[in-house]
Amino acid sequence: MYAFLTGPMLWLSFAIFVIGCAWRVVKYVKGLSWQLDRVPYGYYRELAVKGALKSILHWITPYGSRSWRVKPLYAAAFFLLHIGLVIVPLFLFAHVMIVSERFGISWPTLPAGLADALTILAIAAGAFILLRRFALPEVRIITTAHDLWIMAISLAPLVTGFVAAHQAGEHNGWLLAHIITGEIWLIAIPFTKLSHVVLFFCSRAQIGVDFGVKRGGQRGRGIVW
Amino acid sequence: MPEGIYCNKQPVTTEEALKALLSDTRGTKYYAEMQELEVDREKLWATIQKTFKSRMQTWLDVCARCGLCADSCFLYLVNDRNPEQVPSYKIQSTLGEMVRRKGDVDGAFMRHAMEVAWSRCTCCNRCAQFCPHGIDIGVMMGYTRGLLYSQGFVPWELKIGAGMHRVYRAQMDVTTEDWVETCEWMAEEQQDDWPGLEIPIDKEDADIMYTCNAREPKHYPEDLAEAAILFHIAGENWTVPSEGWEQTSLSMFAGDWEACKLQVQNVYAAIERLRPKRVIGTECGHAHRATVVEGPYWAGRPDGQTPAPYIHYVQWVAEALREGKLKIDPAKRIRQPVTYQDSCNYIRNWGLAETAREILSYIVEPGYLVEMTPNKEYNYCCGGGGGFNGIGKFRPMRNKALLTKRDQILATGAKLVIAPCHNCWDAIRDLEEEYHIHIDWSFLKPLLLKMVIVPEHLKPKDEEDEE
Repeated sequence: MYAFLTGPMLWLSFAIFVIGCAWRVVKYVKGLSWQLDRVPYGYYRELAVKGALKSILHWITPYGSRSWRVKPLYAAAFFLLHIGLVIVPLFLFAHVMIVSERFGISWPTLPAGLADALTILAIAAGAFILLRRFALPEVRIITTAHDLWIMAISLAPLVTGFVAAHQAGEHNGWLLAHIITGEIWLIAIPFTKLSHVVLFFCSRAQIGVDFGVKRGGQRGRGIVW
Repeated sequence: MPEGIYCNKQPVTTEEALKALLSDTRGTKYYAEMQELEVDREKLWATIQKTFKSRMQTWLDVCARCGLCADSCFLYLVNDRNPEQVPSYKIQSTLGEMVRRKGDVDGAFMRHAMEVAWSRCTCCNRCAQFCPHGIDIGVMMGYTRGLLYSQGFVPWELKIGAGMHRVYRAQMDVTTEDWVETCEWMAEEQQDDWPGLEIPIDKEDADIMYTCNAREPKHYPEDLAEAAILFHIAGENWTVPSEGWEQTSLSMFAGDWEACKLQVQNVYAAIERLRPKRVIGTECGHAHRATVVEGPYWAGRPDGQTPAPYIHYVQWVAEALREGKLKIDPAKRIRQPVTYQDSCNYIRNWGLAETAREILSYIVEPGYLVEMTPNKEYNYCCGGGGGFNGIGKFRPMRNKALLTKRDQILATGAKLVIAPCHNCWDAIRDLEEEYHIHIDWSFLKPLLLKMVIVPEHLKPKDEEDEE
């Protein structure tokens, strides 16, 4: 069981994740209207690239956009959740060790205490975002079951991974649960709203180009959309 | 498939049909017929499949339902934070449902969607600035309007407006003859005060071709005269086209995509015929959005640009002041608390915030300008944008929406609001009539004429003799 989950199943999960995400990007670009969506970046490549990069960078930087600044608490939760889900797993000692053992390559890792703290903060941020969904009428009205599911799918590997790391023994049930939920998470990404892993960049770049070329960027005011 | 005599899926394409629709006062019969109007589900789904592209599909799909758009929307705020006014909710419950149900929606759904599309969104695009994913609900609502229009679910006034563009290539029944006569009349009328003033029609290879809003020749032709006087003082070599002078697009508000294209092509044809160095549009926001920002895309121009550089009136004014073509008498500058209404269409969506400030630096005595909060690209809609001003059925909602602008203006303490946009100007006039806050509002042209220094050689001879 353990061998299967960390062997073929892990490879399959990664393959579905990577190919699925690539397919989402291709589908996005190919599905654009030539006339309405693609003219700006075809004709004004330099401005378009500038607009796209600026838009992405300011939004993935904590408090880099006006919207993040006017909602400081939500922004904090947003960044903590994403740091826990993206940065921590990539630089976690236990994960890098596995890669190192199997492929002989490694990279710097986070100190254990920091990784623990970031994981707990990410879980807390996720819980906060969930509670906010029900507490605020303006968020409750737009919340769907899908939104709850993807939060559950995303938090599960964090919770199970955290518990597993702090349990004695090597092949405990929590570790197994961590691997299974992690794989579910990877597989779910291309097929759910989690596809924003790549589509965020498409959508953000698109509005950056739109404002950067068509809607004002040519007049050179350095506003970030 | 029952369709009404007044309310149906066909666009208005003849003068007779326009007159018939106009004769139905306030659209009473039109809206009564709409109650019975059925949805052509197959056609709706076919239209969606053909025109609903991956950009909007992605927007609907990845919306994180975080609600950050809520506080960005003035209609949400002004309607007591009613959750049904959250931008994400507004689009998901209309366009989102239409797509998810593959067009299988009924008349009641469409009538509700019509109310949302035209009375709960002015397509101001402010929410796009606050969405982490960069989702622009204004753009999607504009698209939704197109779907509704194609099925006949469109406010009466806008069905007429789009029809006007189809019949007259203008938002009002101003024919080429009417327009040319108005130009001649206005030029003639000014001869006593402005000897030699001309409104040159169809002059080829001029430096400037001027385009305007049909309401100007139709209802306040003095605006055209003011434009002519200012060009005259500035010594500009300018012209107006006899055809293709109308810059506005009620068809854009209506969602009549075909008429949108016909309208801008008419203007572009004039540019190609007269070959001006550049084109200057009047003090109108949506006209600029339609003809300069969106129009090239509608018309399928490969570079996304108009045939000649096309600028907004505020750009010309700023340039004329900067270069000294128009000189302001410092003693006549505005010396009362004054504020500026940043229009969504040429400020947020075309980047002219600082250009407008440059003008203010010339015409307002330092210390008298009080900015609104928020302002510039983040300003709220005037309350009547996107066609909201003109729809009788939604007048109560529009009046409520005006409270945002009223309170913004009141907070500045300004007595005068400079509003170089027809929609904003109307909304501010209406809010004064509705709420009596004792303010004045103005386009730039009349203000400039009050304070510009007139060169000696342009003054009437007898006036000089008296001196």
